[in-house]
Amino acid sequence: MGKVGVIDLTDKTVKVEGICEDYAKKYLGGKGYALALLYEYLKEYEAKGNAAKDLNPLGPENVLIFATGPGTGIAGFPSPGRYHVMALRSPLTGSIGSANSGGEWGAFLKFAGFDALVIKGASKEPVYISVVDGVIGIHDASSLWGKTTFDTDSLLRKEVGGKNVSVACIGPAGENLVPMAGVVNDSHRAAGRTGLGAVMGSKKLKAIVVSGSAKVPIANETEFREASKEAYEKERNNSVTSSGLPTYGTAILVNVINNAGMLPYKNWQLGYNPEADKISGETITKDYLVKKRPCWGCNIACGRVTSVKSGPYQILITEGPEYESVWALGNSTGVMDITAVTKANHLCDELGIDPISTGSTIAAAMELHEKGLIKDEDLQGMDLSFGNAAALVESIWRIAHKDGFGKFMALGSRRLCEIFGAPELSMSVKGLEMPAYDPRGAKGIGLNYATSNRGGCHVTGYTISPEILGIPSKIDPLTVEGKAQWVKAFQDFASVVNSTVNCLFTTFALGASDYARLLSAVTGVQLTEDDLMKIGERIYNLERFMMSKYGFTDKDDTLPSRLLFEPMPDGPVKGQTVDLETMKKDYYSLRGWVNGVPTLAKLKELEIEL
Amino acid sequence: MVSIKVLLFATFRERYDTKEVSLVFDGSLEGFLEALSKRFGREIVNDIFDSEVKRFRNNLIIMINGRNLKDIKEEVKFKDNDTVAIFPPVAGG
Repeated sequence: MGKVGVIDLTDKTVKVEGICEDYAKKYLGGKGYALALLYEYLKEYEAKGNAAKDLNPLGPENVLIFATGPGTGIAGFPSPGRYHVMALRSPLTGSIGSANSGGEWGAFLKFAGFDALVIKGASKEPVYISVVDGVIGIHDASSLWGKTTFDTDSLLRKEVGGKNVSVACIGPAGENLVPMAGVVNDSHRAAGRTGLGAVMGSKKLKAIVVSGSAKVPIANETEFREASKEAYEKERNNSVTSSGLPTYGTAILVNVINNAGMLPYKNWQLGYNPEADKISGETITKDYLVKKRPCWGCNIACGRVTSVKSGPYQILITEGPEYESVWALGNSTGVMDITAVTKANHLCDELGIDPISTGSTIAAAMELHEKGLIKDEDLQGMDLSFGNAAALVESIWRIAHKDGFGKFMALGSRRLCEIFGAPELSMSVKGLEMPAYDPRGAKGIGLNYATSNRGGCHVTGYTISPEILGIPSKIDPLTVEGKAQWVKAFQDFASVVNSTVNCLFTTFALGASDYARLLSAVTGVQLTEDDLMKIGERIYNLERFMMSKYGFTDKDDTLPSRLLFEPMPDGPVKGQTVDLETMKKDYYSLRGWVNGVPTLAKLKELEIEL
Repeated sequence: MVSIKVLLFATFRERYDTKEVSLVFDGSLEGFLEALSKRFGREIVNDIFDSEVKRFRNNLIIMINGRNLKDIKEEVKFKDNDTVAIFPPVAGG
């Protein structure tokens, strides 16, 4: 039977609880299970006479949960190395905090004897948590405070030792409560989005190190082996999972999305960059790739180990940059020097900061400067112009340390642009900076960005897959009809995969029926494709309901005015804007929501107990 | 006659050792395939076109001026200065 560690950093107490079977059946694990637990904590907070709207994301009342799922840590389950982090509230968006990461930490938490860790309260002094062979400890971390994620990782590995060690930690950005700070594990993987590194920092929690050799039980070994064989066969026969991703990594998308005219360039002013090939997956593979690197147990191996052998941005060894990093740090800022982009990405890992939000915020600052709203004297000597590689690299450090102009950029693009008088230049939704696809070229992803519970996010409902890549089938990206169905289906299924806690990239080859077969074998509970999609819908609605308590409504399901009202100036989708209202109407009708909030009838239908 | 640009990406770029090439032909689909074949050999036509069903291979991403061929309902014809981009099956995040 699985275990959940509940750690109170105020009282410095540790409790071990069993998995709640009812929650496991209704929410699977991972994100869903964590959400169910968070809802209990939210009700507890309200029962003390507090209003949910007053919950401080950086206060001790915020709760952080690191969770694995029934698909994690099992050799033979597709891409089983991940973990999901949830918080009652994100310091960047004010909505639910949610982020997901690969590497080894998720699998090794299971081997350390736990399915999830709940972290409440806050310590007065820096601490780290150890989870070793079933025992949880809280330790003094004063000698680690101030250190980068790389140094923290190697020091704690030596300190704790043992079999299957992995470290998830924060760097200076999280310690400094930068709202874009992420949680970094295995040095180059991160639960980057929504500022969960700052939540850790507010609790003075420097790191969680896990180690152990517990075996993860499987209910029906014979059936699991058959299901696993079938799943791996499908991945082998799929060109994306067997060839595209392992050969080139995710940055192969740069040229695809650019040629489709929707690779946001210079803070989304344009959608086509004639020089994009300089920062593409082809260029990285040809000149900088050392080898591919899989997460634990993964057959796809999209990870890139890279090296910049010479020049001012030399790096002995690093990982990435991924597509999103290359875009945010490179194309959005206009920096076409891939070595500088790789260095900036490396610094994001080292200092513990989300490259998407960081790159996008720097790009917003560049446009504010271009328009004369940020003056030279504000910048204290830094030339924050589009394309300036040195300014890009310097900015990463300044943001993580809230130093110089970095103290403004560290706030994220929404607050930065508000302060400097042009809020419309923040290319974000609910305060979370949008990723690398301009919805003027693919309307469905626009609807997804607007309705994604955690803010401007693509993986919440990756309709780029059918709209641009043609997976599982091709739909016209420029129409709005039928997009609501696709967005809902992708959002619900992604909720499932984030709750079994496996990699979304498996879904290029596998569907809900494959997951149902695998999960039935692992858990011994018979699940169908329909069961899983209903669970996904339940998770999505619970999250949306909780957000509504913070004040989120349909008014927050929107896009920046640039995408709604400024036609794309040129390129293949010249003249396009996003007709969001039509898609939103369809979407809310499909979801059973009124004003962006699930009705009580919908919550009852989904068996969400209030 | 039309003159178009053909851009090759990912494994196509590696296999044919070319990023970009200009082709001159009569503007028809047949003319395009013939011109490609003359430049790179018959192999490339087989890589991208299924001559049995007379369609481009389903798992590729082929764009004309940024528009995916699968979204173009009309018969494929090429105009002067068109850009054709050819990608193998790829994805990312």
